[in-house]
Amino acid sequence: MIKVLFFGPVAERAGAGEVETEFNAGMRLQDLRTKLQAEFPAAFEIVCFAAVNGVHALDMSLPLTDHSEVVFMSKFSGG
Amino acid sequence: MKEAVRIQQQDFSQDEEVAALRAGSKRMGGIATFTGCARDFSEGREVTKISFDAYESMAVKEMNKLREEAIARFELLDARIVHRIGLVGAGEQIVFVAAGAEHRAPALQACQWLIDELKQRVPIWKKEITPQGDAWVTAHP
Repeated sequence: MIKVLFFGPVAERAGAGEVETEFNAGMRLQDLRTKLQAEFPAAFEIVCFAAVNGVHALDMSLPLTDHSEVVFMSKFSGG
Repeated sequence: MKEAVRIQQQDFSQDEEVAALRAGSKRMGGIATFTGCARDFSEGREVTKISFDAYESMAVKEMNKLREEAIARFELLDARIVHRIGLVGAGEQIVFVAAGAEHRAPALQACQWLIDELKQRVPIWKKEITPQGDAWVTAHP
């Protein structure tokens, strides 16, 4: 399984802070994004960044491993 | 002594943070600090509170990286970063950055760099709570 987390405005639009999705061999970050975008279109309208296991992921072709923690995030507004 | 980089719900003491910074070295000739506070007015609306959400584990990692980068880049003797999450009332403190160096110029430059980079790189989001309703804030310059 892949654990997907949403925070702030993305969580509000998704109506959830955490979802789990099945891991498939060869799965890449873009595959996960495409799948979740179909399920949560309003949330993904504002998604700008992703992180995998707590590290910024700039390459959407990044291969995922089972039990990864993935976060799709909107622009930050701390400070 | 409290950690140099923290995310916490409770308020912080600037005096305690500066004292902790100064305790590390007697060679510190310049200390620059920045304190971000919750404004009671934003984009034409009264703001009563601000609610902060964070991807806390990553936010702390990123803030620690920022501190280490600032120390190396500006040759600081030490630096501290504290950010609150949860509900913060109008007028209250949100974020504190302190940079200590042998001289004032690197301390001032590092302080500005740290708060600018924090806004770009640290996964924290704010929602303004107003009498007219709540609204997530898009990034300010």
